[in-house]
Amino acid sequence: MQTSSRSEILADHKTSIVIEDVELEREPSAAATLAKPLTRTAAPRLGPEGLRDIFATCVVVLVLLAAMEITSRFVPDYIMPSPVAVWNAAKELFFSDPYHVAVTLARLAVSVAIAMVAGVLVGLAMGIFPRVRPFLKAIVVIDTGIPALSWMLIAVFWFRNSEVRILFILLVILLPFYALNVYEGVRALPKELVDMIESFRPSRWQVLRFLILPHIVAYIFLTTKSVIGYAIRMVIFAELVASAVGIGARMNLAQSTFRIDQVLAWTFFLVILNLLLQALVNGFEKIALKWRAEASIR
Amino acid sequence: MTGEILIEVRDVSKMFGSYLAVDHLFMNVRRGEIVALLGQTGAGKSTILNLIMGTMAPSSGVIRVAGVDPYASFKALKGLLAVSFQTDRLLPWRTAVENAELGLRILGKSRAQAREKAKEWLTRVRLEGSDHKYVHQLSGGMRQRVSLARALAIDPEIVFLDESFSQLDHVTSRTLRDDFLQIAREFNKTCVLITHRIDDALEMADRALVLRPPAKVALEVVITKEVRADPSQIASLHAQIAVAMGEAVNTEN
Repeated sequence: MQTSSRSEILADHKTSIVIEDVELEREPSAAATLAKPLTRTAAPRLGPEGLRDIFATCVVVLVLLAAMEITSRFVPDYIMPSPVAVWNAAKELFFSDPYHVAVTLARLAVSVAIAMVAGVLVGLAMGIFPRVRPFLKAIVVIDTGIPALSWMLIAVFWFRNSEVRILFILLVILLPFYALNVYEGVRALPKELVDMIESFRPSRWQVLRFLILPHIVAYIFLTTKSVIGYAIRMVIFAELVASAVGIGARMNLAQSTFRIDQVLAWTFFLVILNLLLQALVNGFEKIALKWRAEASIR
Repeated sequence: MTGEILIEVRDVSKMFGSYLAVDHLFMNVRRGEIVALLGQTGAGKSTILNLIMGTMAPSSGVIRVAGVDPYASFKALKGLLAVSFQTDRLLPWRTAVENAELGLRILGKSRAQAREKAKEWLTRVRLEGSDHKYVHQLSGGMRQRVSLARALAIDPEIVFLDESFSQLDHVTSRTLRDDFLQIAREFNKTCVLITHRIDDALEMADRALVLRPPAKVALEVVITKEVRADPSQIASLHAQIAVAMGEAVNTEN
């Protein structure tokens, strides 16, 4: 059994038991369970625990639907519509409003990409240039202290164009996450690796290219996975405050016309969108970090 | 040994605050020579390596590597020096062959040239077939071989082995040591072997400098082929070195 010297335990807690790439599928005996090491390096697969998670999610969704159905029988439609009404509203929106979904997705993609690039640059500058570090750190820390709502209102005053407003809001909200995590990534670079690469007398650019950038990729993915749900919420808020198109704007319209079925249908779409984006980021992460032996705790 | 002097350390001292790490050290290494720096932990071996590599400046004295000051002219020695460290220090996101080609890429070789050379060196260190394995898929001995291939692939004038075999098991360490020695002799490499293992020094080096804190040469021994072939002389040298290092002498040796 090999355990990675730098094994990292991030969000994934899968339970497949793999020794030297050979998966043990039989039920382990008590003695075998005790003999198992605390960590194991394995490509996570959908094991019994993964299936249990899916089953639990299905149970929770069914309970929520049942609660909605029961509540809808005792309260007016504008308080709680039945799941069937929400489903019909979702079908209607799916065919009538794909443009708004596309706009929101495009805004999200562009904003996250720009925040990622800017945040990574700021984080790298903080990690590499000690003289500018305190100033950048101060800016980032102050930024994290400003409420998202303040930025939204400020953006409305500062920018006339709604696209610029939304981009600005997401940029200032997401940038600190990337900057601080990338800075931590640079700080976490093992000194042994720095000394090793320095022994070849590289240029500063070569250190960045061969050592620092590959090292921080894991931190960029971790940040993206952490902020994706938050970014979706922020883009919806921003659209609600500062735009006439997009899911947020449509939710605003649904609320003002007392279409709670549509508000719930949009909410349903947002949950699905979040899951799809998380899966997409996870997929990219698996490809980009295929070198990493994932560890899980028994 | 009459070759040109490649490493010259003249009256070098190094202070860390009030702590004296290296005390008026004199040593030279000639082209093609394998010199062992022997000493226990804290004897100043790594400080000497850092001074010769130019990653730190001496407090006093003169160091010349291939005729230049390694600290003041750090970049001038690009491609001339390579180090194989105690731990493999491989980049985990790179495969074995990508790790082996790292130095070549830093020297500005094209991807294709670097790949060809790296593969050649992986074969030399007996790692053919493992080119595309990631670091976590390699055993400790295999990783150290990749580390050695990475150091040797740039065709350096001087190779430093910083306790390179000390973390491996006896059999792997011995095999790797023999492989390295064969390559070093074949390519007439100048080597500085930094170790605390007397056996490594006696079996590999042409000359051993025994250091005692603060990095002062307590004993210098020349190890010729004749000496190496004579077990009684080797045993005697082993004992002398152990005493000079401050170790208890093992009478069985």
